[in-house]
Amino acid sequence: MDAVRAIVGVQLRIIRRDPWFLLIMFGMPLVIMPLFVDTIGLSLQAEGFSDASGAEQVVPGQVVMFGFMLAGSVGFSVYREHGWNTWDRLRASAAPAPSLLAGFAIPWIGIHLLYQVVLLVAGSLLVGLRLEGSVLAELLVLFAYSCCLIAFVLLLTATFRTINQVNAIVNLGAMVFGGLGGAFVPVDSLPRAAQYLSPFTPSFWAMEGHRDVFLEDGGIVDVLPEVGVLMGAAVVLGALTVVRFRVDETKEFFG
Amino acid sequence: MARGLTKSYGDVQALRGADIDVAAGQITALLGRNGAGKTTMISIIAGLLRPDAGTVELDGIDVLSNLDEAAKLTGIAPQDTGVYGVLTVRENLEFFANLAGVERGSRATAATDVAEQLGLTELLDRRAAKLSGGEQRRLHTGCALVHRPQLLMLDEPTVGADVATRAQLIASVRAMANEGAAVIYTTHYLNEVEALDADIVIIDHGEVLARGTRDELVEAHRLSGLEFTLDAALDAATIDGLGLTATDLTANGGATYRTSDDRSIGALIADLGPRSEGLLAVESLRPDLETVFLAVTGDRLDEGGG
Repeated sequence: MDAVRAIVGVQLRIIRRDPWFLLIMFGMPLVIMPLFVDTIGLSLQAEGFSDASGAEQVVPGQVVMFGFMLAGSVGFSVYREHGWNTWDRLRASAAPAPSLLAGFAIPWIGIHLLYQVVLLVAGSLLVGLRLEGSVLAELLVLFAYSCCLIAFVLLLTATFRTINQVNAIVNLGAMVFGGLGGAFVPVDSLPRAAQYLSPFTPSFWAMEGHRDVFLEDGGIVDVLPEVGVLMGAAVVLGALTVVRFRVDETKEFFG
Repeated sequence: MARGLTKSYGDVQALRGADIDVAAGQITALLGRNGAGKTTMISIIAGLLRPDAGTVELDGIDVLSNLDEAAKLTGIAPQDTGVYGVLTVRENLEFFANLAGVERGSRATAATDVAEQLGLTELLDRRAAKLSGGEQRRLHTGCALVHRPQLLMLDEPTVGADVATRAQLIASVRAMANEGAAVIYTTHYLNEVEALDADIVIIDHGEVLARGTRDELVEAHRLSGLEFTLDAALDAATIDGLGLTATDLTANGGATYRTSDDRSIGALIADLGPRSEGLLAVESLRPDLETVFLAVTGDRLDEGGG
């Protein structure tokens, strides 16, 4: 536990030293949100949500897609330790693999959650997103999505040798899973074949949870199925990561 | 402390039943060429690698089955410099103190003490990325000794370091040993071994070939004679006839030979006859660590290597 606390502390310190990365990650979705609100609003109204402005789909959609990209940072942090030659020094503490992984996962789950909250707040200010459902329910959806994605990226880290391989999967995953999961347009608007694939993406369950809260004015009970699926996936992915992760495996950072 | 260490990487056998003992307050220099097995040996002792066979015991603790307990007693500075460039010197030292289990209230003092020992006091609040290569190397070593380990392992700590850094590191290692720490110091540099007044373990192809103090090794493996280079290689019959040993071939077709008796240079020239006109260099083999290494491994130590 001491090693986990120490690694969490140093990771947060490292992240604070380069805030520009996070600021850029905040800025980009804010540019995109206003471009699609009116069009998506019409689509939601056609679905039967007569009061919908479009922000109920666009803002969570951007949160889901850019959140996927941000989650790649936890993998970057692990590979960076190899690039800095500090990985063996962490290992010399004799911390077991789950403790090392927790030292990287915990700060990034926190940052990922905060990122999503700030984007939703910014979305409400920028394009008029209104939260009619339960705040706690929405926080549960956000937290479950953060856990699921961080566990997914750590499994990629346990599996792939180079940061470039993980980056490629995360960036493509953000687009493909985002598209299939309804982050760009509602899943009902997708071709039938794509709709069959949607439930196999974390983006789908996150978007369903957001729809429950923002479009259906839902509460905690309403989002439990989505939260359950995301947390269940996080547990399975986390367990697979612990099984696959080899602390003595050489990883390649850039160059 | 380590017995019968064996480790293979695929078909390559890095260690073949190697043993090493280090007592409290003692510096042991692990001397060997690149690929001799030095890094593998200290990586196993530090718990970073699992051996295929063998045992490691430290202060009564079986290191291989009690990594967590043993880690608090050991400190390792791997060969490649590993510090957090975005953090300050102080933050680096305090983090590694924290990781090694130093109590919160003692970390700041531990960091300043090590910084003082390594001449980094003025740089405590400077980011590691802004340090010179030598300063980074000192910080890298400092991170290994900030928790005052009972066993300190330094893997080629002075590679790429300037003269001042070398002197500072050697002084720090001696200070640690004087405080009672056992130190394992891998190196290519024979002058450092002498400066550390270290016990010496010579390792080659994964085997420990010799061990002892400098004087013991020199006495046991002293070479006498001459080493000379000719511009053309001698034939086998001539080599046998003159009682020579061939040690190396030169790039331009010449060769280096050694006599193993107390022949003078004049006698050697007489023995070579007309071939002596091709004599490029003659060196008297002195009884020092270089000749010990030569005698034990059959080859010279490449001090230029990393």
